[in-house]
Amino acid sequence: MGGYGDVQCIDENGMRLDGRTKDEVRPVSIETGVVPVADGSARIRWGLNDCIAAVYGPMEAHPRKIQRQDRAVLDVRYNMAPFSTTDRIRPGFNRRSREISKVTAEALESVVLTELYPRSKIRVEIEIICAEAGTRCAGITAASVALAHAGIPMTDMVVSVASGKVHDIVVCDLNKEEDNYGEADLPMGILPNTGELVFLQMDGDLSPEQFQQAWDYNMEAAEVIHKEMVRALKGGDE
Amino acid sequence: MSIPLVPNLLRAHLAELAAEDKRHDDRGQFQGRDVELEVNCLPRAEGSARVRMGDTIVLAGVKFQIMTPYPDRPNEGGLMCSAEVRPVAGRNWEAGPPSAESIELGRVVDRGIRESGCINTEDLCIIPGEKAWQVILDVFAVSDDGNLFDAFGLAAIAALRNATVPAERFEVGEDMPLDVSKTPIMCSYHKVGGRFVYDADKREELGGDERIHITLGDDDHVHSLQKGLKGIFTAAEFAEINEQARSRCAELRDMVNNALEGE
Amino acid sequence: MKGGSVARLDNMSGDNGADGPRRSRQAPLLVAPGDDLGDSGEYEAGHGVLAINGRLRALKQGRMNNRGGTVSIEPRRTAYVPRPSDLVVGYIEGCTSNIWFVDIGGPFNAILPMSLGPSKAEFGGIRKVLDIGDAILCRVQEVEENHSSVVTMKGMGLRAIRSGSVEEIDPHLLGRLIGRGGNNLRQLKEDTECRVVAGDNGRVWLDGDLAGIINARDRLNALLTEAKIDDFGGDV
Repeated sequence: MGGYGDVQCIDENGMRLDGRTKDEVRPVSIETGVVPVADGSARIRWGLNDCIAAVYGPMEAHPRKIQRQDRAVLDVRYNMAPFSTTDRIRPGFNRRSREISKVTAEALESVVLTELYPRSKIRVEIEIICAEAGTRCAGITAASVALAHAGIPMTDMVVSVASGKVHDIVVCDLNKEEDNYGEADLPMGILPNTGELVFLQMDGDLSPEQFQQAWDYNMEAAEVIHKEMVRALKGGDE
Repeated sequence: MSIPLVPNLLRAHLAELAAEDKRHDDRGQFQGRDVELEVNCLPRAEGSARVRMGDTIVLAGVKFQIMTPYPDRPNEGGLMCSAEVRPVAGRNWEAGPPSAESIELGRVVDRGIRESGCINTEDLCIIPGEKAWQVILDVFAVSDDGNLFDAFGLAAIAALRNATVPAERFEVGEDMPLDVSKTPIMCSYHKVGGRFVYDADKREELGGDERIHITLGDDDHVHSLQKGLKGIFTAAEFAEINEQARSRCAELRDMVNNALEGE
Repeated sequence: MKGGSVARLDNMSGDNGADGPRRSRQAPLLVAPGDDLGDSGEYEAGHGVLAINGRLRALKQGRMNNRGGTVSIEPRRTAYVPRPSDLVVGYIEGCTSNIWFVDIGGPFNAILPMSLGPSKAEFGGIRKVLDIGDAILCRVQEVEENHSSVVTMKGMGLRAIRSGSVEEIDPHLLGRLIGRGGNNLRQLKEDTECRVVAGDNGRVWLDGDLAGIINARDRLNALLTEAKIDDFGGDV
């Protein structure tokens, strides 16, 4: 964060590099059934982000030490494909992916009725095929749709989105340049039917007013994205 | 990869079908599933392709890096091909270090391309002894419903053929298309119910025996062969599938050419 | 992909909160997890529905039904979870000297004790009776709290499956396969001259001559394709 160099992320008319106003969400489209061999799957395209999530299970939890006698565990793996970014990503162990997998699992465990499947695991595989910014948000959102598509009972879906700050202006749904050069990033995981939260991270610098603005932008964006999630699950209107 | 249970009934049923010259999905012995090929579909890759064969879906992406040439070959760049089958692609694929199966996949695809000589590694040299391009081809399975080999092979060559060398980004000249002089194509045959069939799906792989992969170049020259899994085959069986591979490889090569022309 | 458009305003989810569940005579009401389905004081929560803070909440995607004051969801997909007395097709996955472990398509293998098997085996001869990879038609005898289950082969028609083919369909589509009063299933058997046994775990055993099995499988596949299109305008 910080240090713009020559990059001007927002012009004097309040227009952003990708032609959005400060309160606009990037175009989002979601489809289901993209991994035909999985029990449930979804693909989200969100700006240039392209993310696939597949769900397998419930199945017996292996190894046995991860089993919980009273509920299922969500075995979530977030991964970026080697060709998903400008510089190739070497496959293999990665601390960032581990952390994102962990917080994603915890967000989703807050809505999935895991107590219905003791001793089992539900595998959730999140693959970033093309990354712009906010891939963890795209991952959580796609995973929610994939879980619903697999028929896993859940009290709500999680919509995740990140707003932040560039040139001291709060903007909704950060794009790549804003994410790279901006001063703050606030990703949230929102339950759209109640407005409750299951996932929250933040880094950077926000005044109390700016924080509230970013929070509100996320809430508004979540509504837009949720409509597309529901549309995808209900089979679209064609 | 965890090894799934093979139902005895499935093996018996596949044998029963084979005896009547039938397959469980009504295909002919050497008939492939419908193939979709899309090129230039990954915005962050310098070359890319997506292949769908039935419910098998794969992606291939080409990236470039600058390397120091090996001391014994100061005028050559490098080509690296790696296959990843992550657990997203199927119930039996597991997380963790690459399995023997996915390493075999990567190496067989790599050999077919490398040995065809379609990429001249001397063309990849920027400054002899100092700088050269390393071409990195990553093939990635989205959904495994059998015959990942052919899907990977097809996606790999299509991705290479539409790749652009990103010289401007690395500040070593102007962007230019990667020179790929040939189009090697892989065809795989699987022994199912006692005979070889082309393009086995997951069910046939599960109830089948050995498999043979053949990569042919533009002039029908053989560039790589691989026999996998437990099983015994005869010279006559090999001659038949080699013959079949020639016509199928030519069809798929046309498909790659058409897809690239459409770009 | 499905139309590039972002967020069609969906009239269903928006309206439900105010009106409560609609009568099912109208076009099927499709719901997604989290949808509010009305006041829990007025209606009982059935399958796929949970009462939270006085409101009914959808837990699954699918078709909402409202029968006899109970709101339930007929899911679009669902995993098989065994229940006592289910008829299932299983595969023998392993054995000890007196127990077989059976894959019945649920999250866990079931056990088949020798005493409930097709016949007694001499010590060390269990695999001569049922071998690894064999298919069986069996019934779920009991399901324990921790989801372990026991299956039995004692009962009418339960047997080792030695011929034919086993196809898999999503368990919730069994209703369509069987049809009202078993009509569709009866028709399928008549037309193909096959034995067709539909297990509650979605495994369907087809047995007859090869042409009959192929015919029955084609009909099964057609039914699945149709079901997808009917319900939801097609999956990708």
